[in-house]
Amino acid sequence: MNKEKYSHIDDNQLLQNFYADKNNEWLGILLQRYTLLLLGVCMKYLKNEEEAKDGVQQVFLKAITELHKYKVDYFKSWLYMVAKNHCLMKLRDKGKHAVEINEQVLAAPDETTDKKKHLEKDAALSNMETALQQLNPEQLQCVTLFYLEKKSYQEITQVSGYNLLQVKSHIQNGKRNLKILLERLQKNER
Amino acid sequence: MNDDLKDILANSNKDIDNQQLMNYLTNELSKADTHDMEKEMVEDDFLNDAVEGLQKIESKKNMEAYVEQLNTSLQKQTEKNKKRKEKRRLKDDTYTYLTILIILILLVIGYVVIKKYIEAKPNTNSTTNRQLTKEM
Repeated sequence: MNKEKYSHIDDNQLLQNFYADKNNEWLGILLQRYTLLLLGVCMKYLKNEEEAKDGVQQVFLKAITELHKYKVDYFKSWLYMVAKNHCLMKLRDKGKHAVEINEQVLAAPDETTDKKKHLEKDAALSNMETALQQLNPEQLQCVTLFYLEKKSYQEITQVSGYNLLQVKSHIQNGKRNLKILLERLQKNER
Repeated sequence: MNDDLKDILANSNKDIDNQQLMNYLTNELSKADTHDMEKEMVEDDFLNDAVEGLQKIESKKNMEAYVEQLNTSLQKQTEKNKKRKEKRRLKDDTYTYLTILIILILLVIGYVVIKKYIEAKPNTNSTTNRQLTKEM
């Protein structure tokens, strides 16, 4: 099947088409959209190009088998979970790391609750500036440069002197802390 | 400013454009697009992990070749499964027709054999009777 020909069909529709006629070719089109991302995830955990390639093939196989058995609602999150679990299992088998597969890894993220939460958060924007000021200096600097001044990771590393990993971590942790601070502020208002 | 603040907690779930991702990895995106991509990465763990992994592959040409190979093998796999399914269905049908044919043949043979047997029985009886009369 031609990849371009189906570019107008979204992931969910492709999945529904598959559930309707159980034709694996729909899964072929759907999974091809994620080959690059899956290769990246496998490469991140397995750190070897050949192993990452094998990993992607096994994830494809697993996805095809599992999708015949049960219905999946959030394909992208589910596929990410399958890939991540596969890599962690592989690492555990190899004994490279004592990887603990905790509930967070196994549980698929609940996107509906997430979206609802974010909508609630949007309503509390007035508290944002207050919350921003309560972040630690590193997180405040990175979050401000990234979101408000729209600087790229690379530019932030140059401005702040932190390395790329630190910048990413300050942005992610800063964002998480902002959510927590906002929740606290909202509770205090009530 | 307010819009920018809103952006911090926005939870976008956009589909990832592979070409855009490739361009990001090869530093071919504009400043604004780079920033958009990085914002997506903060929102999306899948994309973030993928970028971190793909940055470990040194040759971008290799990366494209790997994707091509994986897609070809995936395509073969999904087509093969379909062919196998069709073949199996055809095989199943052949067995059904064959079974019906064998049953029909057996029925015909059975009918012929029974008919012959019934026809042959009175003849045997009359021969025996004739022999008995002769002996007397």
